[in-house]
Amino acid sequence: MITQERYRTTVKELLANGSIKMAIGYRLGSTPDRRRPLFIRTSEEADQLVLDSTCMTNLSGYLVTEGLLSDEKKVGIFLRPEGIRSINILAAEYQLNADQIVIFGFDSTGRDVRPLDGRNVGEFSKLLNEIKEHPLQIVKEPLHWRIEKMNAKERFDFWQEEFSRCIKCYACRQACPMCYCRRCIVDSNQPQWINTSSHTLGNFEWNIVRAFHLSGRCVQCGNCDRACPVNIPLRLINQRMANEVLDGFDHFAGLSPTQEPVLASFKKDDTETFIL
Amino acid sequence: MAKIGVFICHCGENIAAKVDCTKLAAAMGEHPGVAVSVEYKYFCSDPGQESVKKAIRDNNLTGIVIAACSPRMHEATFRKACAEAGLNPYLCEIANIREQCSWVHTDSDMATEKAMDITRSMVEKVKRNNILQPIEVPVTRRALVIGGGIAGLQAALDIANAGQEVVLVEREPSLGGHMAQLSETFPTLDCSQCIMTPRMVETAQHPKIRLLTYAEVESVDGYIGNFKVRIRMKSRYVDMSRCTGCGDCITKCPAKKISSEFDCGLGKRTAIYTPFAQSVPNMPVIDTASCIYFKNGKCKMCQKSCQLNAINFEMQDEFIDLEIGAIVVATGFQIQNTAVYGEYGYGKFPDVITGLQFERLASASGPTAGKILRPSDGKEPQNVVFIQCAGSRDPSKGVRYCSKICCMYTAKHAMLYAHKVHGGKTHIFYMDIRAAGKGYDEFTRRAIEEDEASYIRGRVSKVWQENGKLMVRGVDTLLGKPVTVVADMVVLATAMVPQSDAKEFAKNIGIAYDEYGFYNEAHLKLRPVESSTAGVFLAGACQSPKDIPDSISQASATASKVLALFSKEKLEREPVIAINNEATCAGCWGCVLACPYNAIEKKDIRDRSGRLIKQVAFVNPGLCQGCGTCVSFCRSNSLDLAGFTEKQIFAEVMGL
Repeated sequence: MITQERYRTTVKELLANGSIKMAIGYRLGSTPDRRRPLFIRTSEEADQLVLDSTCMTNLSGYLVTEGLLSDEKKVGIFLRPEGIRSINILAAEYQLNADQIVIFGFDSTGRDVRPLDGRNVGEFSKLLNEIKEHPLQIVKEPLHWRIEKMNAKERFDFWQEEFSRCIKCYACRQACPMCYCRRCIVDSNQPQWINTSSHTLGNFEWNIVRAFHLSGRCVQCGNCDRACPVNIPLRLINQRMANEVLDGFDHFAGLSPTQEPVLASFKKDDTETFIL
Repeated sequence: MAKIGVFICHCGENIAAKVDCTKLAAAMGEHPGVAVSVEYKYFCSDPGQESVKKAIRDNNLTGIVIAACSPRMHEATFRKACAEAGLNPYLCEIANIREQCSWVHTDSDMATEKAMDITRSMVEKVKRNNILQPIEVPVTRRALVIGGGIAGLQAALDIANAGQEVVLVEREPSLGGHMAQLSETFPTLDCSQCIMTPRMVETAQHPKIRLLTYAEVESVDGYIGNFKVRIRMKSRYVDMSRCTGCGDCITKCPAKKISSEFDCGLGKRTAIYTPFAQSVPNMPVIDTASCIYFKNGKCKMCQKSCQLNAINFEMQDEFIDLEIGAIVVATGFQIQNTAVYGEYGYGKFPDVITGLQFERLASASGPTAGKILRPSDGKEPQNVVFIQCAGSRDPSKGVRYCSKICCMYTAKHAMLYAHKVHGGKTHIFYMDIRAAGKGYDEFTRRAIEEDEASYIRGRVSKVWQENGKLMVRGVDTLLGKPVTVVADMVVLATAMVPQSDAKEFAKNIGIAYDEYGFYNEAHLKLRPVESSTAGVFLAGACQSPKDIPDSISQASATASKVLALFSKEKLEREPVIAINNEATCAGCWGCVLACPYNAIEKKDIRDRSGRLIKQVAFVNPGLCQGCGTCVSFCRSNSLDLAGFTEKQIFAEVMGL
């Protein structure tokens, strides 16, 4: 509660002195453990701000709303460490200018919420490097253990079963801060590479494409996972791809605003023969 | 409405023996959109091409598919035929039913089925092909020759004598390469330096050749006709504009015991040195690793002795940026490290030497002034054993290929030895005598018949020392028993291998290489001097082991390729380039990073009042090579490749 109150005051101050034109945070949702995004432009709106351990959503996707940052004024945003990494990636992919973003960082353990020091993304680099070196011990859910024990065939069957529920609503895409393309590949129908109907093949195609487009970019914020109306554990796929990229290329997504995208960069002295 | 012509070639028996062409033609004739479907024995022949042109004109075809050999063979042929018949050449597609079908299958029915699939998929593609126009790019008429050995010299001189500018880059302090190290050359036994040095001088004095010695190619960017090359001029510590090559510094240099690379370790040199007396340019360099001043900070004897103040210890590496139209790679070879053959005792016994060391012993400019004296005690050896294939044709320890020159130079060594040491005996252990070439077999016969070289067909298992003699144990396979030969000196015919940095260098300039590091030609038979990269040509032993005549022929061939390229003002390039959909581009610039040719730029999109709306990727058509890396990277599918659009590829896949 102290953190929440302190941040309310800070936001009001920054709005009043014109340092930021808006702050993006959380407010109460439809049920006690749900939170909705809040776009604070006035002091009154700031009073609606809620900051507690149930504020899970990574809000950074709202920053790339067309036109929001084009006046070069600053926007504040409430972010967990994963969200801060998203800002770095979005900056590295030239979707926003990191200097325009004022970060209100927070993290939570149990029900306790604590603020993170810093306002500009650069000030968090120490924290992010620590996370890379000592990844948070994500409490592995029983499902995680189950999948790890499976062989390739069992794993394939498992995902086939999971994907069979997919209804191609693309909520995972809409929720993801990384899915900022003006036109997604699934919306391109000349040609229609990915089948639009929600049968197993088309569902597989979509989810595999999504996994690849996010490899080296996903920060495991869990937005997709929470958005899925049929509860497909999408986060596990992206977690796995993140591990592959870390092991294979020592690439931890979102460390700095100038980090080169892992799938678009190459070294001429690569030992593999496919680099001429 | 598509009107596609399908032309099915028998290729004599090559296709028709496996694929039922009549059935294929009938099946294609029924495919939607196909107006003409015919077969013929050789469509690439003159009447064959005429029939294609006639069919295009008579039926107003909107596209054609030639079901025949690989597009690498005849795509250009049929595109030309298309253009002559008034059809855009990029509306012609080749269905490869030879290399990818008839040649690789045994079952006739299934091969016919597959040929139908392949042809149908190309029909579906060509229906969606667009009219494309070739891209014109200007040509910079300046050639870069990398390597100043005999191949590089020949290529440079041939190009320069035709009136075009050449920049010749050599990384050693002098021109010459390996040929300058040789004593006499087979099969005529003329002195290597006597025929080599005039070429070196001619090159250095040629008004069209810019000579850069002690220099290395740092990077190559760009493409055929328009390369941008950066050269690192390594610091010689000798000002070339002042030095006259008097040699005072060399005589004064106190560090005199440095093993000479040019003499293969048999002679000594100073720290400031020219590699050999006839060096071009005849100006020394300081070897900083051995120079006393660079090691201890004291000495500068050379600087004191130089009356022209040419020595500058502060000199730094310099970079030269050049615009180049074509590149000849003539980077040569090295000899394999013979230490892998512990049983031959190289490195352990001083009198076991390599063929190249023997060349230095036999050379008039060598450490013994041309006398054959063994390294251990300087005495004249009375018995010399030569071991051929000491590395070549040996998959277990050496290399699998034949180094090509060893049979000839070993015969030459035996001859030179016989001419210099009259009572001497030579034994040559060999696997086969490979002496194919003009005057070559006669040469080896001369070694055997006139100079009494004793050839023993078999391999050597061990060389060891006993009572001051070298004992060579081998097998005579013609007698079928082991033999032991007592020798004063053993000469190993070491394998020719690529330069140690050959692979790295290939990556740097963007050409392909084989498992060993020899550079790959575009086609082993039909395009032997062109590399896989347009505008980069290969000469000499960097491509495969070669003797002098072969290297020179290849060098002249590269010169003709370069001159053909320079004969045009502009080059026509395939219009296969990436195109960006600016409406959907998200401006993430992943393509900019992914592009290996730096062909993608950022483009501003502004509204009518000039306000910046967004930035999108723009592909520079002059730089794009059509590799498709950006297309596969683009997450929003905004990039597409002309001639291989997503739509075309999709239709092709769905046609299968």
